[in-house]
Amino acid sequence: MRNAIINISMSEMKTTKKYWKGLAQLNNDPIVEKLAQNEFIEELPVDEFLGDKKNLSSTSSSRRDFLKFLGFSTAAATLAACETPVVKSIPYLVKPDEIIPGVANYYASTIYDGRDYASVLVKTREGRPIKIENNGTCSNSRIQASVLSLYDSARLKYPLKDSKETDWQTVDLEIKEKLEAVTDGKIALLTSTIISPSTEKLVKDFSKKYKNVEHVMIDSTPYDGILDANMDSFGVRLVPSYSFDKANVIVSFGADFLANWMENEYSTDYVNGRNPKSGKMSKHYQLETNMSLTGANADERIRIKPSEQGYLISSLLDAVNGKSFDENLLNQCTNGKFSKIVKALKANPSKSIIVSNSNDKNVQLLVNAINHTLGNYNSTISISSPSNLKQGNTNKLDNLLSDMKAGNIEAIITYNVNPSYSLAKATEFNDALKNVKLKISTSLYNDETSSLMDYVCPDNHNLESWGDANPKYGNYSLMQPTISPLFNTRQFQESLLVWTDRSDYLTYLKDFWINKGIEWHKSLHDGYFTLNEKKLNIKRFIDQSVLIKSSKSNSETIDLEIYETIALGDGFQANNPWLQELPDPITRACWDNYLTISLSTAEQLGLSNVNVSNGALNGSIVNVTSDNDMELLNVPVMISPGQATDTVGMAIGYGRTKAGKAGNKVGFNAYPFLDAKSVTLTKVDGEHEFASIQLHHTMMGRDIVKETTLNEYIKNPSSGNHRETYETYKGKLPSDQVSLYEEHDLETGHFWNLSIDLTSCIGCGECVVACQAENNIPVVGKEEIRKSRDMHWIRIDRYFSSDMTKELSAKEKKSAIDMFSEMEVPSENPEVVFQPIMCMHCNHAPCETVCPVAATTHSNEGLNQMTYNRCIGTRYCANNCPYKVRRFNWFQYSDNDKFDFNMNDDYGKMVLNPDVVVRSRGVIEKCSMCIQKIQELKLNAKKSGQPIKDTDAQTVCASSCSTNAIVFGDSNNKESEVWRLRNDERAYDLLDHLNIKPSVFFQTKIRNKA
Amino acid sequence: MMKFFYNNTILQILVIVLISFTNIFSQDVVDSLAVQKGEQIFKTNCVSCHSIGTNSLIGPGLEGVTEKRKKDWLKKWINSSSDFIASGDADAIAIYEEYNKVAMTSFYFEDEDFEALYAYLKNPPIQVKATSADLVLASDEGVANSTKLMFIALFLLCLVYILTSLKNKLKESLDQQTETIPETLLNQFKLFISEHRNVVFVSVACIIVVLKFSYDSMLGIGVYSQYQPEQPIAFSHKVHAGENGVDCNYCHSSARNSKHSGIPSANVCMNCHTYINEGTITGTSEISKIYDAIGFDPDTRTYIEGYDQKPIKWVRIHNLPDLSYFNHSQHVVAGKVECQTCHGPIEEMDVVYQHAELTMGWCIDCHRTSEVAMEGNEYYTELHTQLKEKYKGEKITVDKIGGIECAKCHY
Repeated sequence: MRNAIINISMSEMKTTKKYWKGLAQLNNDPIVEKLAQNEFIEELPVDEFLGDKKNLSSTSSSRRDFLKFLGFSTAAATLAACETPVVKSIPYLVKPDEIIPGVANYYASTIYDGRDYASVLVKTREGRPIKIENNGTCSNSRIQASVLSLYDSARLKYPLKDSKETDWQTVDLEIKEKLEAVTDGKIALLTSTIISPSTEKLVKDFSKKYKNVEHVMIDSTPYDGILDANMDSFGVRLVPSYSFDKANVIVSFGADFLANWMENEYSTDYVNGRNPKSGKMSKHYQLETNMSLTGANADERIRIKPSEQGYLISSLLDAVNGKSFDENLLNQCTNGKFSKIVKALKANPSKSIIVSNSNDKNVQLLVNAINHTLGNYNSTISISSPSNLKQGNTNKLDNLLSDMKAGNIEAIITYNVNPSYSLAKATEFNDALKNVKLKISTSLYNDETSSLMDYVCPDNHNLESWGDANPKYGNYSLMQPTISPLFNTRQFQESLLVWTDRSDYLTYLKDFWINKGIEWHKSLHDGYFTLNEKKLNIKRFIDQSVLIKSSKSNSETIDLEIYETIALGDGFQANNPWLQELPDPITRACWDNYLTISLSTAEQLGLSNVNVSNGALNGSIVNVTSDNDMELLNVPVMISPGQATDTVGMAIGYGRTKAGKAGNKVGFNAYPFLDAKSVTLTKVDGEHEFASIQLHHTMMGRDIVKETTLNEYIKNPSSGNHRETYETYKGKLPSDQVSLYEEHDLETGHFWNLSIDLTSCIGCGECVVACQAENNIPVVGKEEIRKSRDMHWIRIDRYFSSDMTKELSAKEKKSAIDMFSEMEVPSENPEVVFQPIMCMHCNHAPCETVCPVAATTHSNEGLNQMTYNRCIGTRYCANNCPYKVRRFNWFQYSDNDKFDFNMNDDYGKMVLNPDVVVRSRGVIEKCSMCIQKIQELKLNAKKSGQPIKDTDAQTVCASSCSTNAIVFGDSNNKESEVWRLRNDERAYDLLDHLNIKPSVFFQTKIRNKA
Repeated sequence: MMKFFYNNTILQILVIVLISFTNIFSQDVVDSLAVQKGEQIFKTNCVSCHSIGTNSLIGPGLEGVTEKRKKDWLKKWINSSSDFIASGDADAIAIYEEYNKVAMTSFYFEDEDFEALYAYLKNPPIQVKATSADLVLASDEGVANSTKLMFIALFLLCLVYILTSLKNKLKESLDQQTETIPETLLNQFKLFISEHRNVVFVSVACIIVVLKFSYDSMLGIGVYSQYQPEQPIAFSHKVHAGENGVDCNYCHSSARNSKHSGIPSANVCMNCHTYINEGTITGTSEISKIYDAIGFDPDTRTYIEGYDQKPIKWVRIHNLPDLSYFNHSQHVVAGKVECQTCHGPIEEMDVVYQHAELTMGWCIDCHRTSEVAMEGNEYYTELHTQLKEKYKGEKITVDKIGGIECAKCHY
């Protein structure tokens, strides 16, 4: 019709200009005319359904009926919305004495999964474990996260026979029959390092019943070098215990002892030996390949290739022995630090520690010789009270493998290990497994190994088990269940008992310890006990070391260094989404492993990392071939400052195929490269998408982390802690004296403060997981992290130093643009600082003033409160927050199939803390300073009529911190630790010039360097 | 409701004061401390089997027991009834026989404690019969209101009649046509709506009234005061808490320790109902539901082995939304608030209903007016001095220590 009108008006106006709607009109196509007459020339198919008389008559609903239905359903829906749902309350029929609904119980227990050990307190609510707390010892992020692994729905729920569900009777009957039938061959028991004395006895009992039992222990990363070296030096195959707190000089060759090397105890000791206040601070040299957590904390970090390590250690032995060594060459490859190390070591006899991560016995023999020469044994290193956490024996494993190949093994039982995944020779193992008649796994999962086995007799989780542990000579701890087994599983020890015609491991365990004169109930209550044991038979030190005369380093090849990440470790908890989403402290990436490479090597090979338009990080992809003919395709490359030139790092623990929905297909499996020394890289087209939560790596000349050196600090305790001043009519004044704000009354009542010591913080991320567990923080997955939509309430910012400084730029007269663009690039071997950032609870909070609905307000105790049910999601507060700590719920993260993690799982939800709400879509959330714990603390004090004890005041980040870097308390209590820290010369407010008066403050970082 | 509540309390206080005065004048001077202590002892030890009235529970009701028995007799009986029966006292054996041969627990009270208990038994509290004073008051007021309205309406009608008559008289005198009352009203109405402004005014007024009404009714959404669902077991708080005087904390023990007041588990019921098989209102029908749930055979008085226990599904009456954190122990122990302040006259309810609104305004109102129980609590010592300084002479209410801040309940 409109066409027609246009034509008419055109002709009426009689203009020469004519407009055509299209070529068809210009060409006088008849269709145009037709359309002009009738827009809908195609008949509506009314006849089709009206013509179908039969169908029409069979439906009885008329249009009026339809309207009736519509009206009725609308009314019904409206009414239903107003109706209260009837809520049922079901009390216990017979209430257990110890449970009061709504009150948490704590049980002392032990976590040991074959790799990580900690004595812990388990917080339970209504019989559900919901949080792991430290019990005097130090833990790590994996220990903290293990409570979620308990509720992993990927765990086996019943025993399996040939991958099919069966029951325990069948399994036991058949296994016993088959074990008894073993006559010629051997029964192999392949386990992780066992630190449980009662289990050791059980294994012996088992060996008595069934002859020819061979027990082989393996560690996921082998420590044979150091174990065998000690066998040669002292006649015992043991790992000594190190006292890093007693050492004045620490020289570590690649050993990441603050994170994954040996055990997690060392970080506490290390930080205890570095207390600037007392003036005693160890000097820590780290000579390493990858930028490790330990290297990041070292006073002096020297980049070396793994192939150079042996020669350096050998030369160090010569040097401390006073023999001649090639000082120039060594100083050259250690950036001039070698002579300094030698000098420092000589100046501190018997007060140093030398450690190496090498798995080469000869290298470890040299290390032993140096430690012996320096007199460190029985001073900082104790071989007479060794650690029991690493006892794996690769020789025995190799023998087992050849026996399996030869068909000498008739039955194999695995416990706490996943050899089909974690052995360097996994394929060889899998092939050899075919020769074994009876294959039994006791894994919690139907994992890579279990799926190849005849029988899977699923073990209980630690939190469902009884047990004991002897992590260190003379030190013991007990494990008690804090929940009944969730599934039809059975503890490994119970299985062994059943297979030796007995039962009841608890009685067995109790008898075992009561016979040794242990007070069972007291020990169980405390969780740990000590025992005077007979001395180990340790021989006098015999120097068996052989000097390594030259460096094997070859500048042609790229050396490979395998490492473990802070989050996943050996990868046995790969299906734990908290760990998958815990960003690596150095690269700040999660949900991935990659090849770490230095910038110069990457440039040589044409590899790069780029930030795409939304800021997310992309990296080049390479194919990797190793010197032992292993190949990996499409491996992403992450440029990592501090990586030694011509080396790459690769993390194990990823690339699981049968872990569960969170752990499968994340990254690649680097275990086959465990024995490789060097690799060749070939660039492949395409880019890999990383999920990295920090995209800016330097401080750009600002003093976000204020730091100084030990010497400066001793001269002036407030050195490095400079406050900016403003020009006013009264002269130069610091920001708090030119305030326009009305002050809150913070003197009355409590004033909750948090102090973070940047000298003690090692950046391990344990607080991040602890916070996630306590505060019901959702997991958002890789895609969302890539969009910088991480939900962690506490993050640990990592900054690298840059070669360009403001002073240098002024000297070289660089333009500001040049200066800042150069400042963005971290040094090749940068200094690293870690800074935990959570809501600073500003007392002049910028977020509070911009909220249109007063959803974020200030409390009279100095806290910035966030009220979710009031928030309408404008995100003004997040925009106005100078620390960027506010998190927005972009989606509903619970009960949402798009976020298929623990909050979308009936089992996974059992870990939620009932005292904290689960936030819904469209609201902001942030650190509440564990308000639920503060409220509980105050309430308990009010109920008991006692003032609050300073030590009772804890947030979870503070209580989980193994190095005591985070201290929480009431600053209005003049006896509190936090008050002392508030008034320390090192205390400073982050972004002090804004005068927003945060309740969280930092202590300057102090390095022990010249 | 608040007002009536206060009225009621004042009434009760008056009654109690009156009674206590008569007590003082009519009896020997009673050591009130001993009575108080005795009450404590009675509540902790005796109340599960004895009432202070005449009705028998497991043992006899103890009203007038001090007149019926000699003091020595009572002492022997309480200290060890079994020894006493064994000694062959006729009265003792009679009671033992009368109450199904259930031996009373031996208590061996210290002399002082026994004296206190005796003093209490001698001077039992006078039961203040719950009156329906508030209801009477309420209906009185209702009646008064409607009568007033009727009077006003009558008065207005009379006025209209008089005025119309007057008008008609005047019209008659002017020889104009007279109007009946409806006609007058119609004409006046026509006159009224012929003015544009009047119509606008009336419509605006109507809209305001409608909006106000809908706003008020919207505010009521999610407010379920008076919610009184039917429970799976017709448990009467009136019988237990009211008539038998069982302490609230006896069953709801976690109210002192936890955020939940806790619905008692069936084993708590069985503490008494092992012996009490028949209720005062419902006979055996309701009590047998507990036995059915837990697996108890009332005839043999034994628990049935291997019984498939059935949990009791109570209907929850007070439903706070998940977004607000409420802690019973905070209010009961630290705040020293009586249960009835929020739950109403629970001891008079056969079937419990929600007494309070449980809205945020209701919480805040109370926090603004209630004084913090600071005296004698060392936690508050320093804070109290600071606050006295800050709010000179003012009452230190809960809001002054941060009791109306968001994150005190929302986190």
